[in-house]
Amino acid sequence: MTRVSSCREPLDLATLVDYWFGDLAGPDLDRVEEHLLECDACGSVLRSLVATGDGVRRLARQGAFGVVVSPAFLETASRQGLRVRQYGVPAGGRVDCTVTADDDLLVSYLQGDFRGVSRLDLVVQVEDGPEHRVFDLPVSPSSSEVIVAQAMPALRAMPSSTVRMRLLAREGEGDRLVGEYTFAHTVSATGRE
Amino acid sequence: MTFDSLRAGKVREDERLASYVLGTCRRMAIGRARSTTRRQRLLERFGPELTPAAWTFDSPSLDLDRLVSCLERLAERERTVVVLSFYADRGAAEIASELGLSPANVRVVRHRALARLRGCMEARA
Repeated sequence: MTRVSSCREPLDLATLVDYWFGDLAGPDLDRVEEHLLECDACGSVLRSLVATGDGVRRLARQGAFGVVVSPAFLETASRQGLRVRQYGVPAGGRVDCTVTADDDLLVSYLQGDFRGVSRLDLVVQVEDGPEHRVFDLPVSPSSSEVIVAQAMPALRAMPSSTVRMRLLAREGEGDRLVGEYTFAHTVSATGRE
Repeated sequence: MTFDSLRAGKVREDERLASYVLGTCRRMAIGRARSTTRRQRLLERFGPELTPAAWTFDSPSLDLDRLVSCLERLAERERTVVVLSFYADRGAAEIASELGLSPANVRVVRHRALARLRGCMEARA
């Protein structure tokens, strides 16, 4: 078998991504597999894609970054035996919260009615600090909650403080308040409860 | 389709049906054998890196701090799809169902997000 070091007709990333996630079939799948057997360049792209996926898995498991998730995320965390601290808050609600050394992840359920909402934004404010706006949350209109996995490093470093979250439905040029959620965060004295 | 045609009485030359079915089976068998051989070769070539057992290795080429920074630069929708794809191991159809999107839309978001991640990681390497 002769391998080429550069690729005359490289597979585009979209095709490689679909291949990796099993979304190709028939002749498309055959073409990609035959190409990968001969092409080092595309094989290298696939390897980097796999390495990135490995990194994402490890970081998600550590709660290294904040992200809106779905129940599938929590099922995986549960299957892996992670300790997930969870707070459900109704619109207009307030909850006392903390994070301990035993917690692997912290998840907030922001409850509300999202029917008819085409775009939903989240605004986060710690005490009287600047507002941070997250645009266009990936939430089904039929859902009754937004599930947010918090960034654990930031949470662990945060002093006792009040965190305000607001869900805003974008309507025309303006916003409509869907729900406001208050988290009274206290630092765990011992790191454990 | 063949069975539908049979049921509808559209197959006029019954004697040809056996050779048609035989030919189809033969093509499928050859195709499967080729696929199996090809996948075996792919596994030999990429296996050590692509098998789940390798996923726990500490890749020296992957800067996790940089990856966090790149993930944080994605749009929320992109970050969610990437996490559900890799961490929760969900396919496009499952993610689409959970997020109220179409599978095609999820695939577009997924590949766009991974292109951005790749660009971000390479730009800062």
